[in-house]
Amino acid sequence: MEGRILEHPILSFTRQKRVRIFFEGNEIEAYEGESVAAALHAAGIKVLRYTPINGRPAGFFCAVGKCSSCLMEIDGVPNVRSCMTKVRDGMQVRRQHGKGDLV
Amino acid sequence: MIDRASVVVVGGGIVGSAIAFNLLKMGMKNVCVIERSYVSSGSTGRCAGGIRQQWSSSMNVKLAMRSVKLFEQFEKEVGMNIEYYQGGYLLLAYTDSESDDFVKNVKMQKSQGLDVDILTKHEIKEKFPFINVEGVKLGSWCKSDGHANPQIANIAYAIAIRKMGGEFITHTTVTGIDVQNGQIVGVQTDNGYIHTNTVIDAAGFESPKIGEMVGITIPVYGERHQILVTEAVNHFLDPLVINFNHNYYVRQTRHGSLIMGQGDVNPAPGEDIGNTIEFLEEMSEKMVRDFPIIKNVHIVRQWSGAYDMSPDAQPIIDESKSVSRFIYATGFSGHGFMLAPAVGEAVAEMIIYGRTVTTDISNLKMDRFAIGIEREHNVV
Repeated sequence: MEGRILEHPILSFTRQKRVRIFFEGNEIEAYEGESVAAALHAAGIKVLRYTPINGRPAGFFCAVGKCSSCLMEIDGVPNVRSCMTKVRDGMQVRRQHGKGDLV
Repeated sequence: MIDRASVVVVGGGIVGSAIAFNLLKMGMKNVCVIERSYVSSGSTGRCAGGIRQQWSSSMNVKLAMRSVKLFEQFEKEVGMNIEYYQGGYLLLAYTDSESDDFVKNVKMQKSQGLDVDILTKHEIKEKFPFINVEGVKLGSWCKSDGHANPQIANIAYAIAIRKMGGEFITHTTVTGIDVQNGQIVGVQTDNGYIHTNTVIDAAGFESPKIGEMVGITIPVYGERHQILVTEAVNHFLDPLVINFNHNYYVRQTRHGSLIMGQGDVNPAPGEDIGNTIEFLEEMSEKMVRDFPIIKNVHIVRQWSGAYDMSPDAQPIIDESKSVSRFIYATGFSGHGFMLAPAVGEAVAEMIIYGRTVTTDISNLKMDRFAIGIEREHNVV
């Protein structure tokens, strides 16, 4: 199933340039202008992190940077809101387990 | 509401609560705390939660050491886990005069029996590789210092006070104190009258207002201090770090968030609990410089609270000379939480036995201001 909106009654989406981003080391399809979470969603990846105390899976929720559900480790930095971060070519994205380590 | 009490404590923050708890523990009945708002609504609920013993006067060291003993027993004795963590305190010196002070203080602190050491710049770097030690001369390190959650501690005391049969009355304001021939007769509140002959003023930076009600002047004023908290990250920071030179302290809570604050250059009065964008800018800049590891950590929120400042930045604990059994414990100058368990014990002893038994706090009496004072140096 295509996880991207192709037709919309009001808005028009022009697909931009294809970029390469890596989820847990594997390349996934992404296009400039998309958020990381949107690209992952389109690729069928629904679990973005595991919660600190109970280790439960958490995914795309508010999608506007408020809820902390989509915090991921991006290019080695933990607690990055994947719904508010646009894809960049070569980006390394990983699921966050717990609170994240500072390195 | 009750209409009679053996003691009325004005102020339900950590100091007033600790005093009431100790009075009940020592067997006193009909102890009553009156809190203007909710539990922990004042300075205690806004406090960073540091607990240190590294002070520049020997009696303050002794009092703080007693407090640490009581914090170690807190969960068992008061009944709640207050996130107490003895990760130590690291104080950083950047100038020769600061270094001399640290060396002198550590010597005195050791003579009081405190396990404290001077760390060289190299030792600091080895122990805490994430700290940027550029410009650091040396550090003062005490591993039994630590921190806890002041809000939970305050709530723990309030619950314990009620369980032990004491009254903890919230959302009630003291509006007057009746004095006849130098003796207290009762306390007027906006919610009724309480007959009592003993009043403890633990109203923090508003304690002078309570003093005025019995005609005494308490030289305490409120000073706003700002503070912020970040998102949680995995534990990496054991000690609370104080940097007098760069003007900040920082600690990591058990939850993982970082709590940090500074003394503003021109602090607003204590009544003002607003926040400034300048604080965020100043803190972010210096914290990222000294702790580069936190450069990508997000700030979650900021707030502020009042220090109850005394003229020498040390507490004032005494009984009034003119009004019998009017006792004040105030002027903690940003260190009320860490001293509260020992102060609670000492003040309860003053009331029950007429003098302190466990810890000598005679250096904190009011008459020191008539003699001439030396300010506590180790204050952020």
